[in-house]
Order: sequence, then C-alpha cells, then structure tokens
Amino acid sequence: MQLTDTDLIVQAQKGDQSAFEELVYRYDRNVLSIALKYAVHEDDAKDLYQEVFIRVYRGLKNFRFQSEFSTWLFRITTNVCLTYKSKSKEHLRVSIVNEFNNEENEFTETEEIVYEGASPEEISSGSDLGELVNTAVESLSPKQKMTFILKHYEGYKIREIAEIMNCKEGTVKKYLFDAIKNLRKKLSPVYA
Amino acid sequence: MKHNEYKQLLQLSLFGELKSEEKDILKEHLLTCDECKRELEDQKNLLELISGKNNSTLDDKILSAARYQLRGALRSEKNNADIFGSVFESFTQLFTTPLKFAVTSVAILLIGILIGSQLLSKSSSNQISDQSNSDNRFASLNEDISISNLRFIDSDASDGEVEFTFEASRPVHLKGKVNDPQIQNVLTYSMLNEQNPGSRLNSINAMDSKQTENYDKDVKSALVTVVMTDKNPGVRREALELMSKFPYDESIKHALLYVITNDSVSGLRIEALNSIIAASSKGYKLDIEELNLFRNKIQQDENPYIKLRSRTILQEYN
Repeated sequence: MQLTDTDLIVQAQKGDQSAFEELVYRYDRNVLSIALKYAVHEDDAKDLYQEVFIRVYRGLKNFRFQSEFSTWLFRITTNVCLTYKSKSKEHLRVSIVNEFNNEENEFTETEEIVYEGASPEEISSGSDLGELVNTAVESLSPKQKMTFILKHYEGYKIREIAEIMNCKEGTVKKYLFDAIKNLRKKLSPVYA
Repeated sequence: MKHNEYKQLLQLSLFGELKSEEKDILKEHLLTCDECKRELEDQKNLLELISGKNNSTLDDKILSAARYQLRGALRSEKNNADIFGSVFESFTQLFTTPLKFAVTSVAILLIGILIGSQLLSKSSSNQISDQSNSDNRFASLNEDISISNLRFIDSDASDGEVEFTFEASRPVHLKGKVNDPQIQNVLTYSMLNEQNPGSRLNSINAMDSKQTENYDKDVKSALVTVVMTDKNPGVRREALELMSKFPYDESIKHALLYVITNDSVSGLRIEALNSIIAASSKGYKLDIEELNLFRNKIQQDENPYIKLRSRTILQEYN
C-alpha cells in the first residue's frame, strides 16, 4: 500500500532519507514545471528547484501539519521564485517569507518594481513569436507572473492560488487581471 | 451590474472560474453587448497565443538532471548537518556535568594513546622501505595530507600486490596487498586528486576488479565521482568499468544515469547503458526513472546504437 504524505513526512522527520526522496518525487515535476515557466532559463529553473527542496529539507523538521504539505511546498516554491535573483537578468526582490517557523505566514505586501521588458514597438519588430510571448510574460511583475503561471499553465483554482500565496482571492484576481491587461498591451501588435 | 464587472466575469470565464449563475448572467449580457463580445474574442486569442507558444511539456531529461543535482546538494546538506550536529552534541554533553567532563577527558586521553600506539606500530602487511615508522600515518589519510607524483613500480594486481612511490611530506615507497585499507586509501586519494591523468588511470587499474566485495565503500564513492566528473574520458572509462563490478545500488544507478544523460562520449554512454542492462538481466527491476530515460534516448540520442538498444530494452520490458 502506498504511504501517505503524512507517513512519509513523519519518517523523513526521523531522518529517513528515502522517505524524503519519495516525498520529493511526488511533487518535484510540478515544482520544476513552475520554475521553468517562471525562470525561462533552464539553469535558473534547476537552481530554483534545488533551492526549494533544500528549504523543504531544512524546514521539514518544523512542519506541524497546520496545512497540507503540498500547499506548504508550493508556498515555498512561489517564495523562492519571487525572491530569486536570476543569473541572466536583474529581477526585482519582493517579500521574503520565513516559511519554516509559521506555515500560515502571509506574503508581505511590498511595492513591486516591474521589469518593463520590451516595448510594444520592440515586440512588434521581433520575428520569433515564441520569443515575443516569453518576453511579454517576463515583463510582468513577479506576483503577476507567478499568479498567471499557476492559473494559466498549472491550472490551479484561484482559491488554491490564494492558499499557496497566502493572500485573499480578490488579491489573486487583481494580479491575474493586471497580468492579462499587461500581456494584451505587450502582445496586441501580434495577435489582434 | 457595471460594465467593468461584466469584464471581470468575462476574464474569469476564460479561466473556468465562474459559478453557474454567473455564467448565465454573462451569457445574457453577451447577447446584447458587442464590446464585451469583442473583448471575449480578443482575450481568447491572447490566451491561445500564449498557450501555443509557451506550454511545452516538461522534458524528463531536465527533470533527471535536476534530481541528480538535488541529490548532491542534499548529501552535502546532510553531511554538514551531521558534522555540526555531532560537534554540537559532543560540546554540550562535555559541559553538562563535572562528572561527564572528567569521564570525557579520560576517554579522549585513552583514544589519544590508542591512536598514537597505532600510528607508531609497524604494518605487518606493507613494507615501507626508506622511511621511519611515522610514515604509517598514511594509513589514515586525511585532508591535511596531500599526495602527489604517484609512480607505480608494479601496478599489476593479479598477484594480489601492488608497489608504488609517492610524495607526501617526504618520499614514500609502499608495497602491499591491494585489498589492504592503507593501499586503498592512497589509490583512492590518487584517483581523485592526481594532476596527471596517467596516474589517475593507473590508480584505478591497480584496483583488483575481482575483489570489489572487499573494498571500502569510499572506493566505490570515489569511482562514482570519477565517472561523473573526471575530465579525461579514458579515466572515466576505467572508473566506469571498475564501478560496474560493484553490486548495483542507488549510487551506481545515479552515476550510470548521469553518464547516459550527460557524457559527450557515446562509447561511455553505451557502456553505462550496458551496465544497467546487465544489472537488469541479473534480476534488478528497472524503475520509472530508468525507463523514462530509455524512452528519452529513443527520441533524442544522436547515436543510433543507443536508440536501438533503448528501444529493445523497452520492448523487452513491456
């Protein structure tokens, strides 16, 4: 019979390395998928993936089952992504959340500095459509981008995203609407 | 309802987030509002464009590589935690009570005497020809002692013995049985650290492949490292060959998968592939990670033999 997440967490908390690995393998595909969408560059995504699970490894001993493990894991994933400084491009820094001591921590609302990315003119002059889409998604603020990735690519419900990002559903909707608005602005020359 | 609120409903509808009554409200509104109809079409086109161009499925090769890197990072994380944990524990225990302090002091003294007597005693199996007894400290090689210029006088381990010289704090001449821990320590150190690829190669060759069950686990770990990191393909090949003689386990599996995924030399990828197949023929059941790798190889490897072999394995397995 397959062990539950709770069984694996308890075993991993006692130092069972294979239980931890099993836990990682249950979710790491999703984590890497998010990281790849967020970071675009493969090496950056692998760094994000590694950082997420190192934090999980360090924090697991303090995990008290106040939330689902998956929610906690994806909360760490979003935090790591949002605070990650890309090797290839300056990203902004937003709130850093201590996800180990309090599973209910909320994102600190800080002013987001938006990487402007390419202008519509620059976009319309480009030739590779995939590149243009990437550039447009890249130009979103980190929280807009993360919300958009979780919703559009990963298929999470707004309620689930709110839980992962520990904010209100209305806030998630706002990030999502703003993301769409910005993407339309950037991409209208090529699809409208 | 204000027009902007309809627009929000419209966006939520595209993400499948509307309740049934909200769907009805929006449907009714769209019958009469051309602006919202255009808006809906516009946003559909936008999301289709983004989905089409940026929704590739996750490549298993990337996942395997990420997992491999993570294992390495977790190992060092665990080692650091173990070292700091045990030092901290010893430190706190040392000062808990005066009695413990006294007992610990005596124990440390006894351990010191024991280590000293071991270091000063002569090795029965090895002959160190030109040095004082203190050279036996190479039995416990550590990071403080570096070895260089390893030169073999006899690297043929078929008679069970090897003989070589090397530089440490002074020149050393060592002769002994290849399964002796002292000899293995020097050879292991050399295969990992020697600058000269020929010396690294000889250190691996000097290990008797028929006696792998008697080897220390550090030898296997060193081989795993060499297989994945040595810059010289010849050294990697020798290490791969010897490593494959050890009983198949997780660390060997990871090294083989790494070679198949990342090594630029197709001959080494084939050898690693054959090692996994050999393990499978001895009863090892291939897991999902290995099977996915073979599926990947059928599609992506530039070498036709690897493609063919991977296909055959998968067919046999299915």
